[in-house]
Amino acid sequence: MGDNEATSFVGWRKSNIMTIGLPRALLYYYYGPFWITFFRHLDIPVTVSGATTKTTVDTGIKHSVAEMCLPVKVFCGHVAELIAAGADRIFIPRMMAVEKDKYFCPKFLGLPDMIRHVLPESADRILTADVKCDRETEITFAMRDQLARSLGVSSRRLAAAINAGRKVWNAFRARNRQGLTAAEALAETTGLNPSPPKPHSPPLPRTAEAALRVGLLGYVYNIYDAYIGMNIVNKLRTLGAFPVTFEMIDDAAIMEKLCSFDKTLPWTFSNKLLGAGYNLFADPGIDGLIHITAFGCGPDSMLGKLLELAAAEAAKPFITVRVDEHGGETHMLTRLEAFTDMLRRKNRRRVEGCRL
Amino acid sequence: MKLSFAHMGPISVYRRLIEALGHEVIMPQKPTQRTFDLGTKYSPEFLCFPFKCLTGTFIEALERGAEGIITVGTSQSCRAGFYAEIHRRIMKSLGYSAQFFALDFHRPREFIQTLAELKGNCSWWRFIDIIRLYYAIIAALDRLQAKVRLLRAYEQRAGDFVRVWQQILELFDTCRSRREIPELERSALELISRLPLRQAENAVRIAIVGEVYVVMEAHANLDLETKLASLGVEVVNSQYISHWLRRRLPWHKASVEIALARASQYLKIDLGGHDQENIAHIIEYREQGVDGIIHLLPFGCLPELVVQSILPRLSKDLDLPILSLSVDEQQSTANYHTRIEAFVDLVRTKKRSRARTFWPIQAHPDFTGILEPVNAARLGAIAVAAGTFPWC
Repeated sequence: MGDNEATSFVGWRKSNIMTIGLPRALLYYYYGPFWITFFRHLDIPVTVSGATTKTTVDTGIKHSVAEMCLPVKVFCGHVAELIAAGADRIFIPRMMAVEKDKYFCPKFLGLPDMIRHVLPESADRILTADVKCDRETEITFAMRDQLARSLGVSSRRLAAAINAGRKVWNAFRARNRQGLTAAEALAETTGLNPSPPKPHSPPLPRTAEAALRVGLLGYVYNIYDAYIGMNIVNKLRTLGAFPVTFEMIDDAAIMEKLCSFDKTLPWTFSNKLLGAGYNLFADPGIDGLIHITAFGCGPDSMLGKLLELAAAEAAKPFITVRVDEHGGETHMLTRLEAFTDMLRRKNRRRVEGCRL
Repeated sequence: MKLSFAHMGPISVYRRLIEALGHEVIMPQKPTQRTFDLGTKYSPEFLCFPFKCLTGTFIEALERGAEGIITVGTSQSCRAGFYAEIHRRIMKSLGYSAQFFALDFHRPREFIQTLAELKGNCSWWRFIDIIRLYYAIIAALDRLQAKVRLLRAYEQRAGDFVRVWQQILELFDTCRSRREIPELERSALELISRLPLRQAENAVRIAIVGEVYVVMEAHANLDLETKLASLGVEVVNSQYISHWLRRRLPWHKASVEIALARASQYLKIDLGGHDQENIAHIIEYREQGVDGIIHLLPFGCLPELVVQSILPRLSKDLDLPILSLSVDEQQSTANYHTRIEAFVDLVRTKKRSRARTFWPIQAHPDFTGILEPVNAARLGAIAVAAGTFPWC
């Protein structure tokens, strides 16, 4: 890392106090406001790793097993960077459940164990806490006494910090629902810079035609990661297509679409994406949907099939963009351009059809 | 109703069980290249290999007139729990009107409901009786198979054990009540004991752990066990249907937890697959004197990838060679076999060079009999130290 711009120090304390490193990867983009506020409230300085670069990915690849999915490789890279930067502890929560009878992908369930073994130098620096609760709005840590001990705070202060974190997180979600992407709402509620956009991506000319609205389905750590997502939100906006993501849709509406299912997907976020997808397929104001997925994602292999079937049923344009560790922005841009062009042509034909 | 199921484990017993409930059975065909091709064509690209095998198997069964598919599901984090839902949709999109009976052990109400649909007219008492009989048969076959897997390394005439196994299956096909099972098991052992065995100087014992489907099914793992046996390796397999079923019983919960607790220093919680169990197996096998481990996973398997990340550490801690192999529809036999041969060589060399801290296989009291012409009583005494767990 070494680059000060990429590092954000939060909170103030004497320099000999431990700092906590927060990898800017996986669910940081969603639960970041909660975690940052939590540590801030306990007066513990937090370092967030920089935006994902090619080097981060390469480091991650070096440490993970070959078949691992890209987001987890990226996560490994971030942890390695934080260790190199000298963070005393690295916060890797074990995301187990944030709603009843739903889980996270096995890789999230085993994340602290996995990191401990693939990066042996991190073994004594990992700060982990189980996240297991029945309702997302009441998110908390399990086994709080243990966490309080390892942080050296009283359990009362810990509870207060969790409360503060939850409050900010709920505010963050409220801003999402008002139409801000998770990255934008994260920057707003925590006062941290979102992953800085690359300075040299020339703005494309805005087309004069009416703006498109596209559903952008994908996990937060794919869409908002600088390397995996390649700033897809801005790319779409410059193409005159305004993305709607799952976090902008009300949770109740998402769940409503799923209640007709006999059995829903076992993973919280895949379910959210599926419900959001069904909502967007049913929404006449949405011109088309883009599913962005990373190489090796297990849950997406099932989610993608379900979305594909729903797209055929709704007769709505749908594209899957898969990103792997080889990167390359052009392939993404070409496909987005082609997709938005196609949507425009389709809309134009519809208008002309009406005139005839 | 004409029912079919996956090609996994003792399928001839499943057939008799389903027929006993008054259904007709369309036997699943042993997967061939066509099965894999069909499966790959109609399954999502990144779904795991067992899913693709099942897609192909189900399509072939439906082509031959099956009306319903019996399968299992879970509500845990592993993708296998959700297979049935996706299969149902794929079959529907292909125009088959198949009914899926997914037995979900984590949703008791739906589980009972599905069973009620399957049991048809027979009473619950009768149904439980039938299940107990066929469970006992499966358990007996699993015990026998564990022995065959060890002894096959000493096969003198190629194909002997395959033939004898077929005979044993036919033998058990006549079984009508639980009382007959001990007798049948004895005659099966008698059959095995009549086979001529060869002397083997440097036998090694290798255990296979990993994802259940690819570990159990020869067609999915390029016949790994035959390959190992031909190299003179005693094989211990970690997955048996009867063990799997027994572990699902609520009154076995405590003992399962105790067994899994050994794995928790490496992997704190169960991820919903066979992950913690595999780590517990590896630790246990090491204590039982297994010389090497082959870990099998389908490409991209979620829980097993976490295990794979932990394996290097486990191998170092236990001083035990572990080979992790990932299998998928690209059946690259040459690559696979070369790696296995190299691994077996490595295990042999290691065993020879290592001062034996565990019982050497040739000197084990249960084992000495094998080097002479085996008699039935002796064979019965081979308690198959490896391959049985206190919780199985």
